[in-house]
Amino acid sequence: MKPQTLQPPHWPLKFLRFFLKKEYLEEIEGDMEEFFYENTERFSVGKAKRIYTWEMIKLLRPNLIKNFEFVNKIIQYSMIKNYFKVSVRGLLKSPVNSFINIFGLAAAIGFCIFFYAFVVYTFKRDQFHENKDVVFLTTFTASREGALRQYGLSPRPLGELLKQDFPQVTKVCRVEDRNVIVKHGDNIFNERIRFVDPTFLDMFTFPLKWGVSTSLTDLNSVVISEPMAEKYFGDENPIGQSILVKFTSENGKEFKITGVAKKFPSSRSFDFHFLVNFDNLRTAQPGFDFHDWSAFHQATFIQVAQPSDITMVEVGMSKYKRLQNEAVEKDWAIASFQFEPLATTHIKTDEIREDVFREGTHSNLTSIKFLSGICTLMLLLACFNYINIAISTSVKRLKELGVRKTIGATRRLVIVQFLSENIVVTFFAMLFGILLGWLVVIPWFEGLWHFSMEFSLNDPRLWMYLPVIMLITAIASGIYPAIYISRFQTVTILKGSVRFGQKNPITKIFLGFQLVLACMFITSAIVFTMNGDYLANRSWGYSNRDVLYTAVADESAFQQLNDVMQRNPKVLSISGSAQHIGKTHQTTVLHFPDKDFEADRLAVSPSYFKTMGIELAEGREFKDFDGSDKNAVVVNETMVKNLSWSNPLGQQFRIDSITYEVVGVAKDFHSYSFFSLLKPAFFTVADKKDFKFIALKVNREHEQSAFEDLKKSWVTLYPEIPFNGGYQEDVWGNYYEQMGIHGHVWRVFATVAVILAMLGLYGLVAINVSGRVREFSIRKILGADYKNISNNIFKQYYGLVTVSLFVGGPLSFFFIKSVLDFVYDYHMPLTIWVVVIAASLLVAVVVITVATQIIKVFKSNPVEGLKVE
Amino acid sequence: MKKTKLGEFEELVLLTVAALQQEAYGVEIKRELESRLQEKLSVGSIQSALKRMEDKGFLTSKFGEATAKRGGKRKRIYATTSYGRKVLEEMKDIRTQLWSAIPKLAFELKAIG
Repeated sequence: MKPQTLQPPHWPLKFLRFFLKKEYLEEIEGDMEEFFYENTERFSVGKAKRIYTWEMIKLLRPNLIKNFEFVNKIIQYSMIKNYFKVSVRGLLKSPVNSFINIFGLAAAIGFCIFFYAFVVYTFKRDQFHENKDVVFLTTFTASREGALRQYGLSPRPLGELLKQDFPQVTKVCRVEDRNVIVKHGDNIFNERIRFVDPTFLDMFTFPLKWGVSTSLTDLNSVVISEPMAEKYFGDENPIGQSILVKFTSENGKEFKITGVAKKFPSSRSFDFHFLVNFDNLRTAQPGFDFHDWSAFHQATFIQVAQPSDITMVEVGMSKYKRLQNEAVEKDWAIASFQFEPLATTHIKTDEIREDVFREGTHSNLTSIKFLSGICTLMLLLACFNYINIAISTSVKRLKELGVRKTIGATRRLVIVQFLSENIVVTFFAMLFGILLGWLVVIPWFEGLWHFSMEFSLNDPRLWMYLPVIMLITAIASGIYPAIYISRFQTVTILKGSVRFGQKNPITKIFLGFQLVLACMFITSAIVFTMNGDYLANRSWGYSNRDVLYTAVADESAFQQLNDVMQRNPKVLSISGSAQHIGKTHQTTVLHFPDKDFEADRLAVSPSYFKTMGIELAEGREFKDFDGSDKNAVVVNETMVKNLSWSNPLGQQFRIDSITYEVVGVAKDFHSYSFFSLLKPAFFTVADKKDFKFIALKVNREHEQSAFEDLKKSWVTLYPEIPFNGGYQEDVWGNYYEQMGIHGHVWRVFATVAVILAMLGLYGLVAINVSGRVREFSIRKILGADYKNISNNIFKQYYGLVTVSLFVGGPLSFFFIKSVLDFVYDYHMPLTIWVVVIAASLLVAVVVITVATQIIKVFKSNPVEGLKVE
Repeated sequence: MKKTKLGEFEELVLLTVAALQQEAYGVEIKRELESRLQEKLSVGSIQSALKRMEDKGFLTSKFGEATAKRGGKRKRIYATTSYGRKVLEEMKDIRTQLWSAIPKLAFELKAIG
């Protein structure tokens, strides 16, 4: 126990000073102190302090404490209790309206929660690395085709030199990836392994589930990820087990598993499957030159002591730039070195070329902007519903209001009452909204894209975000009705001479706005669905439906497989190639006398055009005999266009030192998905020893069985090598699935938006009709027929719907056009018909909504209607 | 009498103030009353009574000297006003009259019963 000082405790004194009337302070403070010292003589100091504190609390007497504003407010507590009671009763009295309000707000809040989860997911990417601010990726910029571009590669000797030359650089980690075959027992798979310096696990925060992180210093150890451990070893602890890694078909090495990483956080852009010591590159690739300035490592990360140290390093980089530029050819000269902090690299990975990061957040940032728009619109829709219904139903509450005002409620108090009611409604809505977001919207979205946002309700920031959303929603939706309603004079209300609610222009404007939004959402849903179909049927420029492909190890493997498959009657033609459309291409710099030009090179066998179904626009294909057309190229139309050749045939350019001549022009084909623009590409004849792929054109009806045959032949030929091929249409992986998802997402948004707008409309019509029950009853008694009554009800909405559609139609058109142009480089031609379809759909829904009320009116007994009140 | 509204506890405090004269400040009043009543009192109850009576005009007060014991804060010395003394005397009279009105016998009988 620490020694007790002989002084009264401080906090009760502060407490006293806060509460006590100023004029009494000196006297009572003095009394208390004297009393305290007196007590210290009789009791222990601790007890004296306790007495002191307790006495302080007992000083809280009405005539001693200050007159606080809030004391008066607390007196109104019973009033607030009354407000609460009235609002709950109001909710229960008109369940339909309450449902519309609460459901609408809940749906909107559900989307907001999803939005929040997505933002958190995006911004926490890679933030789990403890050293995220002091670890940097080495990049360089270089001028290509006149534009300055950033590359994530780094010259091979750079890492070691940085470590030697800069005292600020504490750790360096080089990264190099290789495709290998990994074998353990019967499990044989193609894998990509990562050669790293042992500092890897220090610099990056990837804690291990089993094993020790320092084991990477051993040349024979491998650290694997959790999914890999499961893939090869199931649930058991694989530490100490060995795997065989085959770098090439002859060159392999046994590694002992010394570490298994814990499950990686889902929000990451950099990870690994297999980690081995960097020096293993010597085994994997005998003759690998670590000191070659003209070659690159896939990545070099450096760690400095302080984030600010990096500027010192950056300043000293110019000498390496000189070394680098002396070693490489002129067209590979670099402009500068740059360092990207790990914490923010994920945002730039779309701009940095050839970096080791999986995928960036760039597209997520766009989505965030986009989603924030959607969520705001949803909230707006829900708020409009609330405002409209609140204004329309307030006619029923005028009496209550009159009485309240008579017995002394000021206008301010009435506004407070209505807002507090609103908070009650929003609170319920938020409860449902949380459930909706948590159990429906987020799982739906995660399911679509197959990833986990790791959303948890156990996030303190969420509980700051939610009340903010709740308050904003409550005030946004409640302030106008509150001000509007509180404006009425007591006397006019009680005299019953106030008539409003049905003809409020604001109500109509809001409803119109909702219809416009709904129209936009429906148009988007239709367009994205149609565009999905359109793109699915759009020509790729080659046949992707009846072509199979597989990667092969070398020429002899190609030959063996070729011999087997030639005999198969389902196969129409076979071609080999060094690169394959959709799988690989070689970025090449072409030299013209006056300029350099970058294009994708595909080295293929002469029959490749036939096999892949690529058509020629002019010129000829390659001649099909050994040694033919060594210096001929076939270019694509985009290349012709970009080089603005009027007569492409016969044009010449140089690659390295060999001169090539254009002999043919292939029609454009997509070697990337439709999400990206066509790129200039050209074909050259491949040397047979460079063959890495085999492409087979098969009979369309037998595509599947041909694929099975191919796989079977592979297994008999190479039991030790995993099969690495597929249908050509699958080279984009989940491309078609992605297309489907876009349509799906928009259909959901549109459905929710339409439901919200319709709920609002339904609420308005219902209130309108119920307010006119007597009128309709009288009309019916006087012989009004179905048509008459329908006209009467519809009449109010003709103008509104027409105006909304005339505004919403063109707006939707331009909106969807800009979205399409933004998302896709190639999309379907947009016609006005899309908007017409959307508008008709909307009109249909409006008619159905209003019709339900007309039917209700028509079916009701006029006598019942007249008996009201 | 009806306007004065002097509570029982207030009366005790007022009497103490009158008795203590120049020494009548918070802590001393509390000490004196505690010793006479043989019970603990809180600072709050005394202070609240003093302030109430000051408002009603039974008491006046002025700042006295500061002592080290009080952390340099001044005492507030209370004194009864002539109105306060009058009310006290009235109360005493009323009580005396009432006492004298009780028949001796009734009292003794009660003591036996």
